[in-house]
Amino acid sequence: MTETLPAPTAAPAAGNGLAAEHLRIRTDKWIGKRTKRVEDPRFLTGNARYVADLVRPRMLHAVYVRSPHPHARIVSVDTSVLPGLGTSVWVFTGKDLADVPPLIDHVALDHLLRTPQNVIAVDKVRFVGDAVAVVVAADRYAAEDAAEELGAAVEYEVLPPIPNVTAANAPGAALLFEDLGTNEIYRQTERHGDSDAAFAAADHVFEIAFHHNRYGAAPMETRGVLADYERHDKQLTVWSSTQMPHFLRSIIAGQLGLPEHRVRVIAPEVGGGFGQKMCTSPEEIVIPFIAVALGRPVKWIEDRHEHLLAATQAKEEHITLEVAVTNEGKLLAVRGEFVGDGGGYSFNTESALIEPALAAKSFPGPYRLDAYDETVAASLTNKSPVAAYRGVGWTAANTVREIVVDEIARGLGIDPVEIRHRNMLHADELPYRSITEQLYDSGSYHESLDLAIETVDYAAFRARQAELREQGRYLGLGISSYVEQTAWGSDSSAQAGTPLPSHDNSTVTVDPSGTVTVAVSTSCHGQGHETAYAQIAADGLGVGIGDVKVIYGDTESAPYGLGTYASRSAVIGGATVARAAADVREQILKVAANMLEANPEDLTIDDSVISVTGAPGVSKTMAEVAYAAYWDSEVRSDEPLLTATRFYDPPATYANGCVVVLCEVDAGTGSVTLDRIVAIEDCGTVINPMIVEAQVHGAITQGVGGALFEQFVYGDDGQPQTTTYMDYLVPTSTDIPPIEVLSLCSPSPFSIGGIKGMGEGGQIAAPAAVANAVADALAPFGAKVRELPLAPDYVLRLIGAIGADES
Amino acid sequence: MKPATFTYHSCRTVEEAVGHLGAAADAKVICGGQSLVPMMNLRLANPTDLVDLNRIPGLDAVEVGPAGITVGATARQHAVEISPDVTAAVPMLAAALGHVGHPQIRNRGTVVGSLCHADPAAEMPAVFATLGGSVTAQGPGGTRTIGAADFFDSYLTTSLAADEVATSVTFDRPEPGAGWSFEEVTRRHGDFAIVGVVTLVAVTGGSVAQARVTVFGGGGTPQRMADAEQLLVGTARADVDEELLRSAGAAVSSALTPTGDIHGSAAYRRHVAGVLVTRGLRTALDRARG
Amino acid sequence: MMSTHPKHPIGLTVNGETHDVLVEPRRTLADVLREEVGLTGTKLGCEHGVCGACTVLLDGSAVRACLVFAVQAEGAEIATVEGLAEEGTLDHVQQAFTDNHGLQCGFCTAGMVMTTHAMLAENPDPTDDEIRVGLNGNLCRCTGYTNIVRSVSAAAASAKAAQPGARAS
Repeated sequence: MTETLPAPTAAPAAGNGLAAEHLRIRTDKWIGKRTKRVEDPRFLTGNARYVADLVRPRMLHAVYVRSPHPHARIVSVDTSVLPGLGTSVWVFTGKDLADVPPLIDHVALDHLLRTPQNVIAVDKVRFVGDAVAVVVAADRYAAEDAAEELGAAVEYEVLPPIPNVTAANAPGAALLFEDLGTNEIYRQTERHGDSDAAFAAADHVFEIAFHHNRYGAAPMETRGVLADYERHDKQLTVWSSTQMPHFLRSIIAGQLGLPEHRVRVIAPEVGGGFGQKMCTSPEEIVIPFIAVALGRPVKWIEDRHEHLLAATQAKEEHITLEVAVTNEGKLLAVRGEFVGDGGGYSFNTESALIEPALAAKSFPGPYRLDAYDETVAASLTNKSPVAAYRGVGWTAANTVREIVVDEIARGLGIDPVEIRHRNMLHADELPYRSITEQLYDSGSYHESLDLAIETVDYAAFRARQAELREQGRYLGLGISSYVEQTAWGSDSSAQAGTPLPSHDNSTVTVDPSGTVTVAVSTSCHGQGHETAYAQIAADGLGVGIGDVKVIYGDTESAPYGLGTYASRSAVIGGATVARAAADVREQILKVAANMLEANPEDLTIDDSVISVTGAPGVSKTMAEVAYAAYWDSEVRSDEPLLTATRFYDPPATYANGCVVVLCEVDAGTGSVTLDRIVAIEDCGTVINPMIVEAQVHGAITQGVGGALFEQFVYGDDGQPQTTTYMDYLVPTSTDIPPIEVLSLCSPSPFSIGGIKGMGEGGQIAAPAAVANAVADALAPFGAKVRELPLAPDYVLRLIGAIGADES
Repeated sequence: MKPATFTYHSCRTVEEAVGHLGAAADAKVICGGQSLVPMMNLRLANPTDLVDLNRIPGLDAVEVGPAGITVGATARQHAVEISPDVTAAVPMLAAALGHVGHPQIRNRGTVVGSLCHADPAAEMPAVFATLGGSVTAQGPGGTRTIGAADFFDSYLTTSLAADEVATSVTFDRPEPGAGWSFEEVTRRHGDFAIVGVVTLVAVTGGSVAQARVTVFGGGGTPQRMADAEQLLVGTARADVDEELLRSAGAAVSSALTPTGDIHGSAAYRRHVAGVLVTRGLRTALDRARG
Repeated sequence: MMSTHPKHPIGLTVNGETHDVLVEPRRTLADVLREEVGLTGTKLGCEHGVCGACTVLLDGSAVRACLVFAVQAEGAEIATVEGLAEEGTLDHVQQAFTDNHGLQCGFCTAGMVMTTHAMLAENPDPTDDEIRVGLNGNLCRCTGYTNIVRSVSAAAASAKAAQPGARAS
């Protein structure tokens, strides 16, 4: 079902000065349709090519030697053990790449200590999996043989491991970066409103200390890089499984000292990214360096074991809250501390702050909050670095907020639905600037909660829950409402607390035959851009989507831009396509007007036919007009190319929704079974509902993974214990119930087309929905969830069936 | 993640295989390879030689006889799982096979291979320990049979000699009318069990004539739990009440000394083994006829 | 470790075509299909038998190509995703996946499609629960499985409808 909530209003200053009429886009035939994906056939027939599938003549294979120690000094790397060194096997150590500048975090915040990372460790390793050397050979198997030999020939001086934040800040703790004098690289408090007065006036104060688990993107395709350098042209081509090809090009050019126009980055098919393939990995600098050094193509494909050791991880935070409330459950004020466990480096081109800073800023969510103190901190630990993963920071914030809201409700004897209604912002209060300066554009917070509750038949569930509880069966229902910041441009990133200026661009071109090429700077990795952008261009130009081809991912054919991350592509890419298409439409109409001897404003385009309004039969086809535009000097314009490139740097938009999970907990074994998941998604104007719903399915499933299964476990010795898919548990088809997605529509009053981003809400909301369902099921035991995942062992500890782990 | 080099022997006879096992420095038998190859890809296992049984004729038989079910070394788990004769004779075996890995694993993996791999959290060893029976092994000195009680030595270790090939396993057929249960807790469907319990109960003349309780995932091998079994054997069926079943569970919990890992602590395994024993015996008694 | 072992000549039949290749015994079937035979549609997602992306049909049964050595497949008939569509027309399983948006990034898709073929060959009319159990050995990180289950169900329905004697609906 679809409902239209508040109509777009005039944009305030945050609308980048665009008047309302400039926010409109054409939505004649394609936008809003469940259009099947045009890109599917090549994936279904095995013809889609990912980095691992690419082969170049004389290509070599690279394999990493990685540290087996969480914290150690590299004493020596004895490359002489390798037979064939320099003839059939090549080795690169940190010393060989000493001239490459270290990678550094990009977030422009004062007080943040920097942790430059050599692209291969030179003196010290800081997590198990840190790169020590790269071995290159003609065959992957042989390269692995050599890497194994070399790995045994590296001498380390082992240093005390720092396995967690507590250890990092203990007196006398070993330091990951000695020159910083501390492992805590950031700690700042910001106060909004008068929390002291609010706490003094409060009837109750609720407290929670929560450990959000460390889990990660785990895309089906691991990372991978292929680099080829033509020495005579001085031309470097890099294929990488990246979400940000242009940004990567700029970084590679800078790091390797190459002129940027001689660097070409291609993101071929990318088998999932989920934010992990945003940041610049050291490997994306090292492999091109080796290709330049050897003058031969070099390919590195991360294997899954390596991925679970060395790829970035995410979401680990310690969050402590005090919440001041009235007897009626009204939230008055919150004091929150958000501490990130950043891993070995504040990671490259991102930051260890992205988790705690984004969590702190997004914490208020859909609720009114008049006073809020936020302390944000991050420490280095000897673990793989933390970087972006779908719902960065927002997941942890949403989890702890929705859990504490339920605990307040339970503590005060208020229904969990009711307490949310008492605190939520109403649609007519929006646009609304939250206490953390986030400008919510529009939304349906109450409505999405109500729709979810109605869909699951709340009253009937409560009756059945009570009935089965008598029989010793424990059913639970968990609610998680969310606001999802989207449209990551300059405005959105600043509102998030981690400013990163950006813009993106699209070029729409109609060729002489009348078919359309759309080149975009966003970079698809499964989201269906080829279809969604074709829908926008088709409506913009009045053609069918079969006449539109969307290209992206190659810096030599796509215009500059930052790529795809943080739910930005629909808003930014969509708007740039719509604007460029609108320009080209005008160019076409101008030529057609000359041909038809009419005014351009009297022309319409429908199904590739340009007609004069009120004069049926007087028309030209798009092909005829395009041909004339290029070749007929009588009618063509001063600039004959039918092409336009347009940019967009949007205001922030905020999607919202609600996820409700129904579960049953086996109090004998601690097993949690999910029975049903209902999700309400409101992302404004929808380009393709089929794609939107599927994004929700996937995001929720990843959130369920974090809630029930996934965690990167490190021992107190700093050794990772989840290094295969037998131990790092990605949800399977039997772990996930059917997911029902319903939509509401509150178009953004600020963005072009009223489009908001989406795709992260499921991940943001699902962990709390699961945790609240389990806590609801186990309410007779007084269970309070304080960590994730809700593995059977933890569930039995929650209800007191077993004591603390003694093994 | 590519395996180290090895010499490959595709054998046509068991004798040939035994010969290679004896001659090589560190040979491993491969058949399904569903446990061995992952370890080789991770280079956690680096055998010098692989001795492949797949092309030895006649080793893939599945025979359901009056005394037991005999499964040849190369018979795939899936072939056993879907055999109507097996399901009719020993439903426990087919039910347990449904919990082994995933469809693709069972299409390739073998029942005998699972026993020889001897993972203490695996399903087949626990079923074997419960039903009883024997493994037939052929070595340089000829053929011998190893009883179920003597087959599992310790974690990933059996009593097979390095130059012996397990050519088949025979699972004893339970008493007619015996009840059974198979219960396990996994993190996800298809994973190795955190802990699991298999039971077999025969009721004759109104009293429990036979009770077998096996815990897997509770130690280095599947373990028959004598204390719990003895609580039931000889008891009149009418006297087997909830309290007795709970006592059996408690007896199992207190007898186990499991090791914890990231999926379940020792305390968890002990506690849940008891819970599953109580539940499993209840199910088995409900299923038992006689 | 770096000793070179003799390569074995083997013959494989892949999607009906014969291929004679010379391989080290340690080369997995997945690598030989991808590199020696040149069919890269079969993906490697974990190389330890969990993710299912490398699922192919070996003499008709779905197996993980990362856990079979190519030398073991000597003489076998292998089917990969590249062999399904005929003359550019998707087969009924592929068609069902696109009709039901059963893929996003596409990396698990070949394994899902091949597993579906094997599943439906054995159980032409599976329930949703049976489909979920049947897909249990194939990880997908994008779809949450919802649309994959729908796709398999739709493929089963279309196969049934296409059977000779089936009544047009």
